[in-house]
Amino acid sequence: MKTPTKPLIWLELCNIFGLNLLRHSKTKAVKKKSIIMVASYGILLLALFGYMSGISYTLVMLDLAEHIPAFLLTIASLFIFFLSTLKAGSVLFRKNGYDILCSLPITQASIVVSRFLRMYVEGTIITLAVLLPGFTIYAWSEQPSLSFYLLGILGALLVPCLPIVGATLLGALITGISSRMKHKSIVSAILSIFAALGIMLVLSQSSAQLTSTDGTINQEIFKKFISSMVSGLKLLYPPATWIGDAIIEGNLLSFLIITGITLLIFAAAAALISACFAPINQNLHGTFARHNYHMEQLKETSMLSALCKKEFKRYFSSSIYVTNTIIGPIIGVLFSGALLFVDTETITAYLPASYDLNSLTPFLLAAISCMMTASCVSISMEGQNFWITKTLPLTTKNILDAKILMNLLLVLPFYLISQVLITLALKPEPLSLFWQLTIPILMLLFSCVYGITINLHFPVLNWENEVNVVKQSTSTLLGGLGSFFFVILCMTCILFTPAHYAHLAKLGICILVLGITALLYQHNNQIDLRKL
Amino acid sequence: MLTINHLTKQYKGSSKGVTDISLAIQPGDIYAFIGHNGAGKTTTLKCVAGIHDFDSGEILIDGTNIQKDPLVCKQKIAYIPDNPDLYEFLTGIQYLSFIADIFKVTKAEREQQISKYAADFEITESLGDLISTYSHGMKQKLAIISALVHKPKLLILDEPFVGLDPKASVLLKQIMHTICAEGGAIFFSTHVLDVAEKLCNKVAIIKDGKLITSGNMEQIVKPGQSLESIFMEVIKDENAN
Repeated sequence: MKTPTKPLIWLELCNIFGLNLLRHSKTKAVKKKSIIMVASYGILLLALFGYMSGISYTLVMLDLAEHIPAFLLTIASLFIFFLSTLKAGSVLFRKNGYDILCSLPITQASIVVSRFLRMYVEGTIITLAVLLPGFTIYAWSEQPSLSFYLLGILGALLVPCLPIVGATLLGALITGISSRMKHKSIVSAILSIFAALGIMLVLSQSSAQLTSTDGTINQEIFKKFISSMVSGLKLLYPPATWIGDAIIEGNLLSFLIITGITLLIFAAAAALISACFAPINQNLHGTFARHNYHMEQLKETSMLSALCKKEFKRYFSSSIYVTNTIIGPIIGVLFSGALLFVDTETITAYLPASYDLNSLTPFLLAAISCMMTASCVSISMEGQNFWITKTLPLTTKNILDAKILMNLLLVLPFYLISQVLITLALKPEPLSLFWQLTIPILMLLFSCVYGITINLHFPVLNWENEVNVVKQSTSTLLGGLGSFFFVILCMTCILFTPAHYAHLAKLGICILVLGITALLYQHNNQIDLRKL
Repeated sequence: MLTINHLTKQYKGSSKGVTDISLAIQPGDIYAFIGHNGAGKTTTLKCVAGIHDFDSGEILIDGTNIQKDPLVCKQKIAYIPDNPDLYEFLTGIQYLSFIADIFKVTKAEREQQISKYAADFEITESLGDLISTYSHGMKQKLAIISALVHKPKLLILDEPFVGLDPKASVLLKQIMHTICAEGGAIFFSTHVLDVAEKLCNKVAIIKDGKLITSGNMEQIVKPGQSLESIFMEVIKDENAN
């Protein structure tokens, strides 16, 4: 019997970026939130669009226009690969609706293909945001033949396939390994973090070539870098170069061969994952129940401690929540450790006169650590369980304090390790050490409270999949990026302040951050959680 | 124990909600709240439990206004929803301890309450397992135990018998009687009219967000009638009007 895949594909695609909710919701508040979420994605895509236009224009100015297609294809591929790796497992093997789907007369392959297609559509949107401006600038600069436009459009549709296959296989592998373990979420989170760090390491190795040995960036080196990168791609990721060359040369035969190979790999990957889809799902959604509990002595704890413990349990029960929020503090530790091995004087040479690395590290560490705090989706993560908190004799302050405390306790070990490493590397003077210790912790406190504020205004409680909350919600976008840009803004203020007023400026920033945090904290505690 | 005066709650952008609901529950009452799907039963219960804010009217629990002093009210009540979405990342015993911590139940008291009810509902051996491994009925039993652990004065239950096995249903009915005998009260919604008729001393019927009738069971259900026939009659009369 032929499996009806069309409804499955519709099911996957209808609520991409929350569009179905926006279309059908009759509640003004939900509609408003959906509009803000769609608008936030729009702004991010526009930012990407603008950034890629800038890069492409720079390449034209450097007389390197012929490299634009291959360069942008690579950027798009790596971008999609990185983003898809982090969410592949939870999109492909998500629990929600799995039992219902399995009871319907459809094959496992149809489910896999429909979930693949969802990732493909998301990837294609990113690809278009990356390729469209660059290809337009290339067309304006090089005046290519008609075949460029035709193959360019087809190429944009083809590019996301292989990175998604790679990311999905990696995601399936991580999920497959973790599904055999008792503590699946924690194992999956650790493997995902290692995978993400591995990808970042490879990317940083590539970009390290951009800087010459004496630490300067110039046109010749940039040209050499592009050339060496394109050569490297031929070895590392040949499809990007093949597609790029086929588009520039208008080589239809070559393009068709690449398309055929890509689709074959896509189909083979779908078949492979379909084959192990059921066992992975069974292991993943299966549960360990011992049924051997005997009543033992129970412990009494304070209300805050009980709430905080519950927050930690919630946090570590979701691999995607852990992966997305812990990676910032881990990078913070890696960044601090790297300072032990780099020539700090060379970096200092880039800074305005009278400023050294000690002026920036507190802000850099804070910016990295605040990129995505756990608190900015902590209310949304309550989901359908929120009725419990609402019916308990708890004030808004009790509930939110536990979320802030959990977030701070979570990043505290990373903060301490980072501080020890930075102190060893930079050996700051007492006053610099004071700022080094104070500024990041104040910024962290701010980001936790600010994250709660954002989540209180943009909660998503009726979610189907944790990915909807952790990766695709307005709170994630505004909470994570807001804190990051706020810290960067503070750092920029310091850089533009005359050196002899630097300590005063830092004091001013600390007072400002404390003041804003206190105001937000007070505002948060006055919100009636029943209205969420 | 519970007084609802002119409660009105409308959902924004929706015609659903409740309008001008008034009823009173005295200590010792087992009060059934019946109505068709979407009539406004759950909305009313959620307003009483402090989950929903409401537009007008007042709800007093043991004389305390839930809007003015929600924490005092919540200390005295326990609510169990129709679909107990519990923290699946906790074990049963962790969940019960969490609730006991929030209500500041002493160590000895919580051990005694949990041991007793877990044994009665036959889930002691599963208390060490994650809630995600529980069946719907086991989650319902756990939710009931968590509601009883702090000895509430008022139990608010939304379809409490759905998913319970016959033995657990009988046990829950006994517990409801015990609470009432000790001066507590029960306010619960149900579609099972036979159970409501046999178990409750008071009943309220709601239709399209409005209270159609309420009062003592024997006043509403006359000899020779059944709650089912009264319910159908009342609903029919309302439709004709």
